[in-house]
Amino acid sequence: MIRIPCPFCGPRNASEFAYKGESKSRPPVGSVTPEAWRSYLYDHDNPEGWVREGWYHRAGCRRYLRVERHTLTNEVRSVTPAARP
Amino acid sequence: MVRAKREPRSGGKLHGFAGGRSARYSAFELVRHGMRHGEWPRVWRECDLRSTYDVVVVGAGIHGLATAYYLATNHGMSRVAVLDRGYVGGGNSGRNTAIVRSNYLTPEGVRFYDRSVELYEHLSADLNFNIMFSQRGHLTLAHSDASLRTMAWRAEVNKLEGIDSSVIGPEEIKRLVPYLDVSDGTRYPVLGALYHPPGGTVRHDAVNWGYARGADARGVEIHQRTEVLGIDVEGGKVTGVRTDRGRISAPVVVNCTAGHATLVSDMVGVRMPVITHPLQAAVTEPVKVFLDAVVVSGTLHVYVSQTDRGELVFGASTDPFASYSMRGSLEFTEELAGHVLELMPALSRMRLLRQWAGLCDMTPDFSPIMGVTPVEGFLVDVGWGTYGYKAGPVAGETMAELIATGRTPELISPFGLDRFGEGRLVGEKGAASVGH
Amino acid sequence: MTAAVGEALGVGRLGPRAGEVIDREAPLRFRWDGRDFAAYRGDTIVSGLLAAGVKVFSRSFKYHRPRGVLSASFLDPGCTVQVGDEPNVRGAHRRVEPGMDVRPQNVWPSLRYDLKSANQLVGRFLGAGFYYKTFIKPERLWPAYEQVLKRFATGGRVSPGTPHGFYDKRYAHPDVLVAGGGPAGMAAALAAAGAGATVMLVEEHYELGGHLRYGGAAQLAALEELRAAVAAEAGIEVLTNSVVTGRYDDNWVAVLQRRHPDLVGGGFGPAGSPVVERLIKARTRSLVVAPGLVERPYVFEGNDLPGVMLSSAARRLVNLWAVRPGRAAVVLSANPDGDAAVEDLARAGVEIVGVLDARSGADLVRARAGRDGSLSAVELADGRSLDCDLLVTAVGWSAPTSLLNMAGDKPVYEPRAARFVPGGRQVAGVYATGGIAGDGSLDELVAHARATGAAAARGEPASSVAGLVLDAHPELFRAATHGMVDFSEDVSSKDLVSAAAEGYDSIELMKRYTTVTMGPSQGKLETVNAVAVLSEATGRSIGETGTTVWRPPYAPISLGALAGRIHEPVRHSPMQSWHEAHGARPLVAGQWIRPDHYGDPEAEVATVRERVGIIDVTPLGKLDLRGPDVPKLLNLLYVNKWSKLAVGSVRYGVMCAEDGVVLDDGVTGRLAEDRWMMSTTSSGAATVWEWAEAWLQTEHPDWAVHVTPVTTAYASINVAGPASRELLGRLCADVDISGEAFPYMNLRTATIAGVPGCWMWRIGFTGELSFEVHVPAGYGLHVWECLLAAGADLGVGAFGIEAQRIMRLEKGHFIVGQDTDGLTKALGAGLDWLVKTDKDDFVGRPELVWQDQERYQRLVGLQPLDGSVVPPESSQIVGAGDRIVGRITSSRRSPTLGRSVCLGFVDPELAEAGTVVTVLLPDRRRVPTRVMAHHAHYDPEGVRLRG
Repeated sequence: MIRIPCPFCGPRNASEFAYKGESKSRPPVGSVTPEAWRSYLYDHDNPEGWVREGWYHRAGCRRYLRVERHTLTNEVRSVTPAARP
Repeated sequence: MVRAKREPRSGGKLHGFAGGRSARYSAFELVRHGMRHGEWPRVWRECDLRSTYDVVVVGAGIHGLATAYYLATNHGMSRVAVLDRGYVGGGNSGRNTAIVRSNYLTPEGVRFYDRSVELYEHLSADLNFNIMFSQRGHLTLAHSDASLRTMAWRAEVNKLEGIDSSVIGPEEIKRLVPYLDVSDGTRYPVLGALYHPPGGTVRHDAVNWGYARGADARGVEIHQRTEVLGIDVEGGKVTGVRTDRGRISAPVVVNCTAGHATLVSDMVGVRMPVITHPLQAAVTEPVKVFLDAVVVSGTLHVYVSQTDRGELVFGASTDPFASYSMRGSLEFTEELAGHVLELMPALSRMRLLRQWAGLCDMTPDFSPIMGVTPVEGFLVDVGWGTYGYKAGPVAGETMAELIATGRTPELISPFGLDRFGEGRLVGEKGAASVGH
Repeated sequence: MTAAVGEALGVGRLGPRAGEVIDREAPLRFRWDGRDFAAYRGDTIVSGLLAAGVKVFSRSFKYHRPRGVLSASFLDPGCTVQVGDEPNVRGAHRRVEPGMDVRPQNVWPSLRYDLKSANQLVGRFLGAGFYYKTFIKPERLWPAYEQVLKRFATGGRVSPGTPHGFYDKRYAHPDVLVAGGGPAGMAAALAAAGAGATVMLVEEHYELGGHLRYGGAAQLAALEELRAAVAAEAGIEVLTNSVVTGRYDDNWVAVLQRRHPDLVGGGFGPAGSPVVERLIKARTRSLVVAPGLVERPYVFEGNDLPGVMLSSAARRLVNLWAVRPGRAAVVLSANPDGDAAVEDLARAGVEIVGVLDARSGADLVRARAGRDGSLSAVELADGRSLDCDLLVTAVGWSAPTSLLNMAGDKPVYEPRAARFVPGGRQVAGVYATGGIAGDGSLDELVAHARATGAAAARGEPASSVAGLVLDAHPELFRAATHGMVDFSEDVSSKDLVSAAAEGYDSIELMKRYTTVTMGPSQGKLETVNAVAVLSEATGRSIGETGTTVWRPPYAPISLGALAGRIHEPVRHSPMQSWHEAHGARPLVAGQWIRPDHYGDPEAEVATVRERVGIIDVTPLGKLDLRGPDVPKLLNLLYVNKWSKLAVGSVRYGVMCAEDGVVLDDGVTGRLAEDRWMMSTTSSGAATVWEWAEAWLQTEHPDWAVHVTPVTTAYASINVAGPASRELLGRLCADVDISGEAFPYMNLRTATIAGVPGCWMWRIGFTGELSFEVHVPAGYGLHVWECLLAAGADLGVGAFGIEAQRIMRLEKGHFIVGQDTDGLTKALGAGLDWLVKTDKDDFVGRPELVWQDQERYQRLVGLQPLDGSVVPPESSQIVGAGDRIVGRITSSRRSPTLGRSVCLGFVDPELAEAGTVVTVLLPDRRRVPTRVMAHHAHYDPEGVRLRG
């Protein structure tokens, strides 16, 4: 069970969080092409290495967090609020 | 309802084993070897890597091996190399729970997997290798009205496609699986089940070895411990692969990996709608056989069967977050055990002996990605999620046909990579649930 | 005491030993194989039986060869027995208890006369993987062959009536967790505690001490000293008969506390309830791995005969349980432990027939069985043959590195020491000490352990501790003959050599092909021998060959312990007691248990359609939205427009995901200038809340919106039917609920049945005039009962989910997830009237714009021409050649209309009203069915609900 250091609650078991997948930026809906939109919907970097992704602290502070995690070791190296400006 | 009469099986007789030693497997040969204490010939050769092949298959799992086997048997193409950085069947092909069935939701899914079941039914004889296909019956339990409705939906589609599949009630379920608690008072009452008598299990290693041996006998080269480091593309066309044993020229490279679909496709810059999640499984210590059918509960995210050796084999849903780690987790075993005991409370004294993980390339619509890509000569047979093993034979057969003829077979036309950009997802997503 | 029992205590029992763990004052009786036996408290099942002269405890898996003691430890492959309803009990580990019913496993018909032992005669044909090579043709006979193979499944039996038992779990947060309570483990724990750490010390045996327990006087003295120090150290929690089963990411460590007589009826758990096992989940800063070493069997012909055992087994039997393992012994010794075994045996009065010193080249060739199937003689390499009933081997040790491997380490082979040792690559926070880390005198091992324990307490790297040396040891794996490598699986070295020659020549392929190391001890006894035999067969070194991957768990763990107390919580509304008292049939709906009906759903429909009914809709999701930017949120999440919703008004909305697929639906009303109440489907309540938070927190953190889930803060009751206004008017004095003052799709706050702070809206799923009231949950039952009492003269009655489903289908309201699926986009659900693509943005907008230009299946109302036929839900709609062109998603008999009514999907060209399609029933009947103009079958204009 990996631990995620929540910036609001401290280190907590991953089972308290919901995984929300790779962080992506939403294309502008007015001008987007179907191909670009569906790439946003379906394609993933899916790297073997560091990835930026969203987690939701469901059983804690209920904040959406942006987590940097290594997909081979599951090491977490940074956690920040998802709403970082 | 019983399936329609089977088509004659594909694949020819074994022939041309090297070395002249008695190669065919049979009870007679077993006795002969036992008396003489003779040695059996090698199942496949160790070969030097050549500088050029017609086709390079990346991944010596069931998909890669079956593709090579059918290229050689059905299309006479034997200048084929199957490369694997590990050993034959060492990835998901040796880590899955080896459940075979065809009771899918969509007609295209049903037809595809039914062809696979059909190939499995004759595979022992085709490969001259007993793959121990045990058509013991497959039960998908329904614990709610909603899941009962989905089971009925599948049963109706299955019947229209000629598949033996129906919804049965608790009494019939109890008769098939006496250890199952079908009483009213449980948290997840067993309201019914989708029953699929031809479903069952195979011995996964045997299938891998059988295909490897059969392909090898027809001239295909299997290169274990050979890692693909890069794929060369010139002018939008594949020209070859770079390995840790040297470069190979080849006009066709097929990505038949599981858990590495993205990483291999990245080598040619083809983006994949894939997320890789670990999928864990576990076995118990053996006990005397008491469970015949394969039992699946989507609601409880568990599936269980008992091997002929007496071990219970368990699987569950994929891990909750993407990872390439295969270390396994405690929480998986805790949830699994809780759910198994919900279904079969008498098993609390049984002990879990071993847990392991495989890597599943999950696609957005619970269906594979098969066929051509924007890079000419780079083909994919990936994105098999949690259901790749059962499709191995038909995937090999159809990919071989595509490679040999250049035409995408009807059976796999719904599964092209272009469907995502075009928004034509496959309807298996309609009944998204644990899919074993 | 019967004669048999008296004899049982005496036959093989020695006089008192200094370190014995049996209590001679506490004899007890148990049953073995249907007969009475006696033993002492502290005996294991096997030590008790050995003392009584029993030598054979099981039959082997494939050849049904008789098996006796090999390691006299948990790993002993031949000592697995059935105890009551518990299969596969390790008889050489489990302590015998009074009245225990122990039976042999894998015997047929009996341990003594096992007919399947005939397999030995045909064994040459049953080599590893034989089943892959036969039973291939004819295909139709394979199922019959398979049934025969299944009969040979090994192991004990599970009885269908086995109760779950009481299993428990515990969380722990020690600073340092030490896996292994031998001298190194104890020393590490002491040093860690001395450095101020809280320590959990876990020992697999029933007492601390490891190999010191069966040593000589000096070892026993050292043991006493260490034990006393541990007992005196308040910072150490000692767990015996417990084992660390796994090390998972971030030092999440699983500890299994095994069944223990002292824990039954006391210890932990509710008083009087026997705790079978407990799983401890420990998050530890440092894990010190100190499991010691496992003695390795020697491979030679006859190495599995009863009477052949490891030196550690012989020493344990003599010194811990005072059992004489034989009368005349031959000892093959390659190390001081073997020499110590010679001394122990001699002191126990065992005749030493011969000592073969492997360090000076002596070796044996094979062991021979006597008439009783157990050892009678040993043939030596020098040609001699020695008669004996005990052969003890001491040919080396294996390091059980599993826990380190789970932490990323890979073992490396040290030829000089003839064993694999840790590679030192494990992650930070994981340490190794004791025999697993190296050799040395007791003082040197303890010093290393102390340094390791202190480093673990301080969080210093493992590399900061000076390593132990490795003693030279001869490489002894196999004699000149072939013998068993895997005793549990009946896999011999010959099988392995054959498999390698066939091409299964990497350790993983060999393991899979021959099943070597796949049995209950998971390779702890067998792996290194398997690697050595493979190395010999291929000519590759042992180091190049490598080992298999060690996978969790380290020791088998019961499903009961993993599951613990099974928590499957359910949710009830505040009115549940009333439902139960009034015969409600429970319906499991996700987490909720809801009243399906109270006996007659069609009568409940009539109550609503003709008079007034009330239904408990508490699970309906409710989100309290506050802030000036709520309209922005609503415009984003819903496909329709929200900017102009007036205070006191309610609007229906549908949410889609980014792929345009229908996600949820419900109404949202505006209670005040800056306060809205959103309702969601019951199953979507949590999802929609997270969905709203996701958009607010990630894309629009600048919007001023606060979302509070209030689903269970309010009990929700829908009052429906022509008399609903009359009924509610009797209980609601502070709001004018006349049709003019409180029209359809409006909401009001109100005091109902004396309860202030309620709110209600005029909406309903049933199509009748209806009011949905939401009352503070604590008053739910009160308001419910007041409604029933106040409406008695109006004929009020409660109705359940089934009646509501019938009425909603009569009205053609779709249910997300039933009448839509994972690919149904908004337009397909018939929501073209609702989707406002002229909005700049909303979730899923691009896909819905594009969907408009595509072909898609449409949800339509359907009625079979023969109204008496109700097509079961999921019936398929078929076209020419039985091509699937649609399906029924909902169907019921409408008591109101006296005919069947349906919703379903059809291909677009069939969606025209009046089209007749063919519904194929599960029984293969074909039912002509008409596509309707509306989803609603009843009151399509909505006259009744607007009343």
